[in-house]
Amino acid sequence: MSSSPTPFRPREAFVSDSWPAPSGEELLPEARSTTFDRRSVLKLMGLSAAIPLTACSAPAEEIVPYVTMPEGLVAGKPRYFATAFELEGIATGLLAESHEGRPTKIDGNPDHPASLGGTDAFHQAMVLSLYDPGRASLVRKDRRFSTYDDFLGDLTRMRARWQESEGDGLEILTGAVSSPTFQRLMAALKESFPKLRHTVFEPVGRDNERAGVRLAFGDDGALAWHPDRAKAIFALDADFLGPGPQQVGLARAFAQGRKVRTGSRTMTRLAVAEPVMSGTGATADLRLPLPRSRGDRLLRATAAALGVPGIVAPDGLKGREEAFVETLAAELRGAGQAALVMVGEAQPPHVHALAHRINAHLGALGETVRILPPIIEQTAGTSAEALASLTERMRDEAVQELVIFGANPVYTAPADLDFAGALEAVPTSVHLSLYQDETSEACRWQIPQLHPLEEWGDTRAKSGLVSIVQPLVSPLYEGHSPLSLLAALAGDYAVSSHQAVYETWSQRRSGGGSDEAAQGGFEDFWRNVLATGLVPDTGVEGADGAPSSDFSQPGAFDLPPLSDAPPGDGAFEIVFNPDTSVWDGRFSNNAWLQETPRPITSEVWGNAAAMHPADHRALGLRDGSLIALDTADEQRITIPTMAVPGQARGTIGVTLGYGRTIGSIARGIGTDVYPLRTRDSLWFTEATATPIGAHVTLATTQGSHQMEGREIVRTVPLGDLDEGHETGAHFEGEPPTLFPEFERGPYEWAMVIDQTLCIACNACVVACQAENNVPVVGPEEIRRGRDMHWLRIDSYFEGEEDAPRVATQPVPCMHCEKAPCEPMCPVEAAIHDSEGLNVQVYNRCVGTRDCQSNCPYKVRRFNFFGYAAGQEYADLGDPMLNALQNPDVTVRARGVMEKCTYCVQRISGARREATREGRIIAEGEVVTACQQACPTEAISFGNLSEKGSAVNRLREEPHHYALLAELGTRPRTTYLAHVQPELGAAKAPDEEGDAT
Amino acid sequence: MSDATLTGRELIANHGRTRDGLMPAEMPYGTITDEVAAAIFRKPSRLWLVLVGVSFLGVILFGISILVLLVEGTGIWGVNSEVVWGFAVANYVWWIGIGNAGTLISCMLLLTRQRWRASINRYAEAMTLFAAAIAGIFPLLHVGRPWLAYWLAPYPNTMTLWPQWRSPLVWDMFAIACYILFSILFWYTGLIPDLATLRDKAKHRFTKVAYGIFALGWNGSSRQWKNYNSYYYAMAALGVPLVVSIHSVVGLDYAATLMPGWQETIFPPYFVVGAMFSGFAMVVTLTIPIRWALGLQSIITLDHLDAMAKILLLGGIIMSFSYSFEWFAGWYSGGEAERSLIAFQFFGPYGWLYWMMLACNGLAPQLFWWRRFRRGLVPLFIVGVLVNVGMWLERILINMNTLAHGHLPSTFSFYVPTIWDWLMFLGSFGLFCFLFFLFAKVIPAASIHEIRELAHKEGAAR
Repeated sequence: MSSSPTPFRPREAFVSDSWPAPSGEELLPEARSTTFDRRSVLKLMGLSAAIPLTACSAPAEEIVPYVTMPEGLVAGKPRYFATAFELEGIATGLLAESHEGRPTKIDGNPDHPASLGGTDAFHQAMVLSLYDPGRASLVRKDRRFSTYDDFLGDLTRMRARWQESEGDGLEILTGAVSSPTFQRLMAALKESFPKLRHTVFEPVGRDNERAGVRLAFGDDGALAWHPDRAKAIFALDADFLGPGPQQVGLARAFAQGRKVRTGSRTMTRLAVAEPVMSGTGATADLRLPLPRSRGDRLLRATAAALGVPGIVAPDGLKGREEAFVETLAAELRGAGQAALVMVGEAQPPHVHALAHRINAHLGALGETVRILPPIIEQTAGTSAEALASLTERMRDEAVQELVIFGANPVYTAPADLDFAGALEAVPTSVHLSLYQDETSEACRWQIPQLHPLEEWGDTRAKSGLVSIVQPLVSPLYEGHSPLSLLAALAGDYAVSSHQAVYETWSQRRSGGGSDEAAQGGFEDFWRNVLATGLVPDTGVEGADGAPSSDFSQPGAFDLPPLSDAPPGDGAFEIVFNPDTSVWDGRFSNNAWLQETPRPITSEVWGNAAAMHPADHRALGLRDGSLIALDTADEQRITIPTMAVPGQARGTIGVTLGYGRTIGSIARGIGTDVYPLRTRDSLWFTEATATPIGAHVTLATTQGSHQMEGREIVRTVPLGDLDEGHETGAHFEGEPPTLFPEFERGPYEWAMVIDQTLCIACNACVVACQAENNVPVVGPEEIRRGRDMHWLRIDSYFEGEEDAPRVATQPVPCMHCEKAPCEPMCPVEAAIHDSEGLNVQVYNRCVGTRDCQSNCPYKVRRFNFFGYAAGQEYADLGDPMLNALQNPDVTVRARGVMEKCTYCVQRISGARREATREGRIIAEGEVVTACQQACPTEAISFGNLSEKGSAVNRLREEPHHYALLAELGTRPRTTYLAHVQPELGAAKAPDEEGDAT
Repeated sequence: MSDATLTGRELIANHGRTRDGLMPAEMPYGTITDEVAAAIFRKPSRLWLVLVGVSFLGVILFGISILVLLVEGTGIWGVNSEVVWGFAVANYVWWIGIGNAGTLISCMLLLTRQRWRASINRYAEAMTLFAAAIAGIFPLLHVGRPWLAYWLAPYPNTMTLWPQWRSPLVWDMFAIACYILFSILFWYTGLIPDLATLRDKAKHRFTKVAYGIFALGWNGSSRQWKNYNSYYYAMAALGVPLVVSIHSVVGLDYAATLMPGWQETIFPPYFVVGAMFSGFAMVVTLTIPIRWALGLQSIITLDHLDAMAKILLLGGIIMSFSYSFEWFAGWYSGGEAERSLIAFQFFGPYGWLYWMMLACNGLAPQLFWWRRFRRGLVPLFIVGVLVNVGMWLERILINMNTLAHGHLPSTFSFYVPTIWDWLMFLGSFGLFCFLFFLFAKVIPAASIHEIRELAHKEGAAR
């Protein structure tokens, strides 16, 4: 029991007995109002002068005033355009909402197989990047302002040289690209300059997956998992429900098998072995904390237990691992063809190949997992090897010109390559990027790139299905499309991205011919493509057809000897993972993502290293204590730590993408871990950890992660539901009240959240932020305990530190029927409306905060400063960002309380529509932002007055309950308890004890 | 030498005290007047000027804190998303508590014929007035948009909106407003005969006119005295329920919620007792320097202090009982949130403050079982200060503990006051002292006419 204030330690409420305690730091808050020094005044003046020229102007090409309203456009009514977003070359189809030409919100394209209407946090945050005042907006040469024309002048001279040398000395570096147009232009460029070299580098990528396919099947292919067809899934170090280009599709497919409803009482089982507690691990029914290096051994043991021919059971399995394998093997064997073994990118190729053999052995190959033709044009070898040889050539001065598209290798390249050093030897380097970053600073030419919402493009889903990227707005800042830059390299300076894409598809359709009839037909086709966002007959489902190679049976391959020696004395296995907020660093200037609480730990604005609580204690650390990590090749980083239950003993989990040195938002946030990452240790390395005795206060949003014996997230064994047991989860009857009942009207809105389906991906949190103009408060405010998210995802740990169960719970406003906040408000700003909504009238609010003091769920948010109006964090008060605001939602002023409204603007929109048509709002017509974004469809929303509505059905489920129902608040937001299937016939692994 | 020209001190030396020790055994009316009025007509002493100067710095500090608050926003304080009530609410409750004692002394003791009140009621009432006024400022500063706080009042408006009558905050607003209005009226009523005395004693024309205006033509006729007394007693009878209501309503701010540690039926009486307790402690704390500085030892005697110490002792016992009842109720309710909160109060990060509060409010007054401590100026002063500190801790802990440790563990949070929280609290104290020093120089610090009456009843004066 601490007797004096010590820093805030959220997880220690779980990890140890002590209470989390406050920090005495930062007693004096920094003034938030803008200081008007000369520079900022000039900056503001400059900006306000620039805005009329860009944001508010019509595109240069065409000006159409609304003398007569354009057909289909109603002022004040948003329009939706199909587009797509790609991450590492893999697309998700999206619909972008546009208000009078301003994109304000992104949602999934229901017709796109990788979305089906869902989105992830990255997609949701995309609109902020569009308006981001920190975006690169100027062409610069040698760090001085220049123009694109100047660049083209330089390019002409370069091209003259390439003509002679056939492109020798010209190198192009890109990230993973699946765009058919980019590939077409690249092929054309290669034709003109056959000696040019193209290198593809992704800091995360899918090299091991690709190499695993090659090892098992002898040819390149891309993996496609189908968790919807699986009954039992084993994810080895594979965070397939976590962030990444396929998150939305995989999560939705996985959720298909997890919906426990009356009449459907089966569940897909999920077993996970991983070093760091991830969203997937939190969802798992059985989870084993496992150092990354032991993945190989565990999978071999699993293969042997399943009787995969030629696999010898390895020895040296620990008690807990053995028990896990036993249970797992029983599950997988039981599922047979419907089993699915997934291996994460961080595992070496032969482990991937072994997974293919297990899947094939179980008969799952072709069922739950398929190998598709690769969509990404890639250089031979892994991308790290390719980058290494490029660096080699740069250092040998064999590179005259280096053109980098988007990638940021100075920051992300393996540390042992010293890419920055090699770049100095390149006479002419060109960097095209959305943000000015570490690489652009080191390049001769910096060319700003257009945002995907400003340019044309095309991209492919993993299945090969092509989506067209459509611009919604004329460029807000100066920028250039990679397609036009690529065309310029080939000598065509006047090609716009639209022309390039259009040409690709008109060529493809007409097969090269160009007769008039075909052209007319193409226009129809093209319009259809733009409207739906999909190019029909592409991908494996379409004409691109069957794989070129035989992927039906893996061939024989030799497994290398096991190499998982535990780290030496005092050394830890350092595990690298992409970050849930910034991925590899590319999103780090996005304030929404920076302030999105990391699943499970709720950390924001930083990337503390995750450690097992016992390791943490052994080193005498507390949350926020800094440690120095030293690798054998004398690289050192200093990083704050955090104890996270479920972390594998002896490992330290770190995430990429922080510690940026450039970026209006990104700079100085978190710790750069790339220095530890080398060519041979891209995913884990060994390092000693030394406490340096310093501490920082981590920015976290959740207080305690322990349920303290209260029934907050209820868990029900699946068997109990089957047998119709009284689960105790169903709250009996209506609690009494002194206040009169409200009259029931035609609309009684309610929400039901299925906690079994929640994967804590945060898509809902960012979607809510985008939809409802929720401001960012910044790290200092978070440390003071203030945040503005209307919807938060709480997580709780249960059980032991080594094998905790994690329960996650999205908490929006409960819209209580007997809301405790309402009678507290002296001015009637918090009132109940006729549709059962608990509404907050911002204009009327005087800011007594009594409502929040009496809210048992603490879901109300107070504008302690003018977070959205006058006192914004960093550059978020930039006038440009006003254009981002959803015009249907009030921007709240300082001193006003706000909270979740059930997206009342969407309800009003639907009501207007229905009233005009003389009917009542139909089921499914109102979709809240969180519900729409949710990739697993965990959130249902609807009308209680409508008998057959989904919410009514869900409220009848035996595992339905209300949070803190005993308080008599009668919440309208209710939950379905977390349903837990019993795994295997084997004993629970806890009972086995750990052999270590 | 005639007794009429002697000071109180000399009178005691000559004649000793009355039987109950409240005043010199022989005390002419003239001496009483001289004793009290002398402090007003004397040239301001250097000490007084220094004190006024220092406390004025506090006023400036208060002003700056308010200005910064209005310019920057509530965010300059340590309040956060969960602990939405901080110093402002605690200061309000504390000041209003202090403001309780004056009225209590004036009304309750008047009605119960506690004669010793006569010497202390004037400045106790002044203390009430100033404390209540300062208390009234804090709710305004607490809200996010103070310029709109008038929306709490029911007035005809174009929005055709009334306040939310179910809100304890609205009840609170009425309670404070009534209380402040009452305090001003009652205090002023008590002043009228003394203002007339000062008018008669004043030498300068300006002072004469100024006091004359406020004396409302008082001439001390029997008829005036008769009306005056009926009115004054009637006011006192009204005051007693107000004293009880004001702090009951403050207690309801908490008790009408469903938060653990707040939702307790004991809150209204417990708050009333707490308020009297802190108010009396403040009176004791102020009396000791005042009687010394104004030379009123003959009028405010050790027996007065003894009587107040007994009340403090009683208060301390009731407070201890209330705390233990809270623990019992928490345990008995069986609610996990309630029980967890009690553990948090004792052993959480604010535990040391809670223990300190218990020591100040429960233990310290126990000294007054002994007569020696009840009549010792130093222990009296120290315990008075301790009780004030303890009561302030109680106010802030009520806010911090419950809000930091509510129903959902995910919302457990912490409140760390910022420099602005402290400056504003200190500033309010500066304002209080400043007003009090001014009062002591302009208005008779003790009620001349009531002491005369006392002297008459005691048989000290002829």
